[in-house]
Amino acid sequence: MSIQDALGDRFGVGFRSLLKREVLRFVRRPRNTFLPPAVTNVLYFAVFGLILGDRIDAIQGFDYILFILPGLVVLGAVSNAFENASFSIFHGRWNEYIHETLTSPLAYSSQVFAYVAAAALRGIVVGFIIVAVGLVFVPFAIEGGSVPVRRPLYLVAFMLTITTLFAAFGVVGGLWARDFDYLTVLNQFILRPLTFFGGVFYSLDILSPVYRTVSLLNPMVYMVNGVRYGFLGYTDVNADLSLAVLVGLTLAVLAVDVALFRRGYGIIE
Amino acid sequence: MTAIRADGLVKTYGSVRALDYLSVEVEDGEFFGLLGPNGAGKTTFISILVGLARATDGIAEVFGHDVEDDYQRARDRIGLAPQEFNVDRFFPIHEVLEHKAGYHGIPPAEAERRADEALRTVGIYDKRETRFDWLSGGMKRRFLLARALVTDPDLLILDEPTAGVDVELRRELWELVQRLNDDGTTVLLTTHYIEEAERLCDRVAIMDSGRKVEVATPDELRARGEDTLVVTLANDTIGVPELDAPGVHGVTLDGRTLSVTTDDAGRVAPDVIRALDDAGHAIADLDVRRASLEDVFVGMTRTAEAEVSQ
Repeated sequence: MSIQDALGDRFGVGFRSLLKREVLRFVRRPRNTFLPPAVTNVLYFAVFGLILGDRIDAIQGFDYILFILPGLVVLGAVSNAFENASFSIFHGRWNEYIHETLTSPLAYSSQVFAYVAAAALRGIVVGFIIVAVGLVFVPFAIEGGSVPVRRPLYLVAFMLTITTLFAAFGVVGGLWARDFDYLTVLNQFILRPLTFFGGVFYSLDILSPVYRTVSLLNPMVYMVNGVRYGFLGYTDVNADLSLAVLVGLTLAVLAVDVALFRRGYGIIE
Repeated sequence: MTAIRADGLVKTYGSVRALDYLSVEVEDGEFFGLLGPNGAGKTTFISILVGLARATDGIAEVFGHDVEDDYQRARDRIGLAPQEFNVDRFFPIHEVLEHKAGYHGIPPAEAERRADEALRTVGIYDKRETRFDWLSGGMKRRFLLARALVTDPDLLILDEPTAGVDVELRRELWELVQRLNDDGTTVLLTTHYIEEAERLCDRVAIMDSGRKVEVATPDELRARGEDTLVVTLANDTIGVPELDAPGVHGVTLDGRTLSVTTDDAGRVAPDVIRALDDAGHAIADLDVRRASLEDVFVGMTRTAEAEVSQ
């Protein structure tokens, strides 16, 4: 076996070790990682789906609770993917134990991909949890109703892409943050408003032409509509184009992540 | 084979120059000490070797691998026990070791075996399920050494490994590290305890203000210092007795205590005793204080500081 082969093999193990560490970190703390989105979405489905949903007309032919479900999945999945990567990296920097990986022979790209893959996985698990909560509430709102998956391949593609994208954004956030307040700012003042104005609770068709055009600048619109297309087969925007743009954006942000690690931004002197 | 080679290494932080064209070589299998006051650049140098800092200029290699261009191979050879307690707080310590071994490409079963072995080696195996925060100060130091050892490094870097530990543990750690060095591991040690360097190191580099002031064996360095012959006179005396024996550099008197500085106290002692006897002084006690590495160290760093300030 050549030295290059040996290195390649070794870094396969190294990557899996960091991935395992990252996954165990959130799996072993379900009260901090999985319970909050479950409770939050019980509230969303109860208030918006059941109590208000009864009084809101069907949107594009879909009961309101079904219309908002894909957006809630996106909201939970991307915010958890973002939070996982940003918190894990920032906490490691704050307590300096990120040195354990930085001083190891793990390639910079392996480190980034491990953080991103674990964070994306957490986002997808949270997405499943939200669907599970939806499955409990939908029959109360729609007699005999369930959660359809009309375009499963699109659903899988969009979920993988958007959780990876936000995990990759989370890496940037975790490297950029100088204290815990920075993470709160990113989540509360950027991520959440973008998601709420991204068409989670309404169709773009109800907006005036000006607001509709402005909304199209919000990348969250394409994510929410893409996932909605996967579940309901309905979207306000072109799903293929959205997916292509989002995949391109994800690859670009991953490249930025690797470049930042290589440069040592926020992690080395 | 050279374990560490630094050539013209410079590191600046804004206007502060932490390393100022540092050049030093450490041979494979050597026990090498870095001595220097706070801010001398010791930790900066280590940080560059392990990838926690980037050099502004110059070359640093570990076993012939450039620490930036060939960082994976360089880091694979190094085990680091740092000054700070920079340990993953989320997991029990045996898992932290398994993860660290994994990052170095060691498969899970082997990583588990090595983690247990490292914990046994440093004597905290019974704490394997405990998280780092719950260990005592001494155990934390032991754990940092275990983490450095779990990857079976060829170069062990110890940055102030015995800072804040009691005498007994310090000696235990010394014995352990000495054993590792005897088995072929190259050791780079920074310490404030001069005794530690004197006892353990084959060679020491004295650093100050980011520069290497000197590299030599502890014996060679000690030979550059002055011994002191301390004579306690039996009776009071007025004025410093005249001693013109060859090799005597200076004489001071404090009460009945006469201090004679010399290159070699053992050689001049008979001449000094004879001269005092001839002058009618009775001697109550005689003590030889050999030049210590600490004296030489303080002298050298003072000289270097004076040169820098000029």
